[in-house]
Amino acid sequence: MKLVGIAGSVADHSYNRMLLKFIANHFSDTVDLEILDINDVPMFNQSDDQTDSEPIAYLTRKISQADGVIIATPEHNHTLTASLKSVIEWLSFNVHPFSDKPVMIVGASYYDQGSSRAQLMLRQILESPGVNAIVMPGNEFLLADVKQAFDENDNLKDANTVKFLGSTLDKFVKFVRVINMLNEPQPTSAEDEDLTASSKIDTTVEGVDMGADDWVEQAAKKVNAVEGDTYVKLDRGLLTVDQLNAFLNSMPIELTYADSNNQFIYYNHMLPADKMLAPRTPAQAGDPMSMVHPARAVKHVKEVIHMLRTGQRDEIKMPVPGNGPDKYILHAYRAMRDSENKYLGINEYVEDLMPMIKWYLAKTGQKLVDDPDAVTGASAEAADASTGASSADEQAVAPATTPTTPETDASTGASEDEEEPTSVASAEPTSASTETAADSEPDDVTGASEDE
Amino acid sequence: MNKYIALVGTNSDKSTNRELLQFMKRHYADQADIEVVEIKGLPVFNKPDNMKVPDAALAIADKIDQSDGVIISTPEYDHSVPAALMNALEWLSYGIHPFVDKPVMITGSSYGALGSSRAQGHLRIILDSPELRARIMPSSEFLLDHSLQAFDDDGNLLDQDKLSKLDGLFADFQTFVGLAKQLNHATSINRQEASDYSWDKQ
Repeated sequence: MKLVGIAGSVADHSYNRMLLKFIANHFSDTVDLEILDINDVPMFNQSDDQTDSEPIAYLTRKISQADGVIIATPEHNHTLTASLKSVIEWLSFNVHPFSDKPVMIVGASYYDQGSSRAQLMLRQILESPGVNAIVMPGNEFLLADVKQAFDENDNLKDANTVKFLGSTLDKFVKFVRVINMLNEPQPTSAEDEDLTASSKIDTTVEGVDMGADDWVEQAAKKVNAVEGDTYVKLDRGLLTVDQLNAFLNSMPIELTYADSNNQFIYYNHMLPADKMLAPRTPAQAGDPMSMVHPARAVKHVKEVIHMLRTGQRDEIKMPVPGNGPDKYILHAYRAMRDSENKYLGINEYVEDLMPMIKWYLAKTGQKLVDDPDAVTGASAEAADASTGASSADEQAVAPATTPTTPETDASTGASEDEEEPTSVASAEPTSASTETAADSEPDDVTGASEDE
Repeated sequence: MNKYIALVGTNSDKSTNRELLQFMKRHYADQADIEVVEIKGLPVFNKPDNMKVPDAALAIADKIDQSDGVIISTPEYDHSVPAALMNALEWLSYGIHPFVDKPVMITGSSYGALGSSRAQGHLRIILDSPELRARIMPSSEFLLDHSLQAFDDDGNLLDQDKLSKLDGLFADFQTFVGLAKQLNHATSINRQEASDYSWDKQ
């Protein structure tokens, strides 16, 4: 979790800054805390707007990108410092980076009050409409008698104080997760999925036309993207961009990345479009999803995205029917999530399963035998549905005609179907052929699919 | 005739709080000598180790020292006193103590309906702190709401009810200042305590 810390003092020596540094070092396993500098921020003046000046733009950027903020406030004259108040005034004037941002207040002071009045006032200020931060309730951390509180290595001496600080921080981590979950734009139904990618996520490159043929070049320039022999640190390893490209382009599968804003931002460009199982062209990278799908596919695409985004499914598999006995092309859509379980987008991978199946049969001396009861309808149905089916969007249509889930037998198929109208996701031919073999009747399945 | 320092609680070029204080200066010219003083241009308070207070702040402190009382008119930013006014009060209590036992009247104006009520409450808490120890006039509040419409072209208050209230409060302040001059038995101790109050590293 990425947090930023602001010490409410511009004095050379500040115990509040020391407290933040201690949190950053001692609890580095819990949070990644970056301490921000407010020293160069000018006094707020509404008739001399300096919102765009470097010190204020820096704070705006850092706070906007952080998951949460910790403010450590001293107390001057029964209140917070003018320097901290000035920062908050700039950040509630023409920009509002604190809006909906989870904030934890801590404070250290020389006297036994431990900045209690300043914390209370700071809380009221942060919750005023122009600032609109979300301050964690309760859990006051007041560090009194600071002169005696730290040892010579700037560590807090008292074990109980450290323990209390740790438990407060743990609560804040949970608080940040909950608040940011509330803030997340969460389409409440599949129809709300915005395939035009018109909203914006942290990684969206602004000021570049998503539909431009050279979106990759334009966007790369905008963000100073690295390339060539520059190293990129990965989990787990270290590669240059060239090595990373060679690696991804040698995968035996076609990979596509669509981000959580429904923008298609990457595919492993190893073949020309006409040689691909699911053709993509270099000019398509960067396109909003609406541009790479025909109108008739939109409904099903939205349903797939929505199920992955909301966690109803982690992966959705769709076979491309109608390729004859020597080809079995599978499109799989896998939700990507970060360590906080936040949805990052879709990893779509496309592969032809038949070469692997044939290899396996040859190696083990087996052969395929027809099992008429197990056919899932998808293959029969898809023959007409997918004549030109070679891109993912069209696949979203064809498999949608197969409401069979692994657990579904023919007799309960209909009711399942009603409970889960988004059954576009349920075509899992491999498991279906094993698990529904006993009960599934091709006619039932086909009938259901015609209803759709 | 009493001499008052009227502090404009903002550094903004355009301020209805400044207009209010300028109006009071003219309107009460036969009762008191009011000097409108700006807080603009003070550096950001950074608690320098050498205790050096900027000359501009020392000049304001000097004026307050020589006055019979202070009128502060505050706007409200983010439900509280503007940073610029907080900053001035930090300098005016850093090793110097012009506010100790000094009678203070608080006024405030706002564009909206609330007339800076929260900021005035905040300012009372600040002025009551051990470093400042001002003698704030109790049970009085002058809130000028919708201040952009409050003055005519000559800068006079339009609303007669508001004006009567201000007249009454100002007369009370004159009385309060006279009374405060007699409440002087602990002044030297208060001054000592304020200067003993440590601004140690916070």
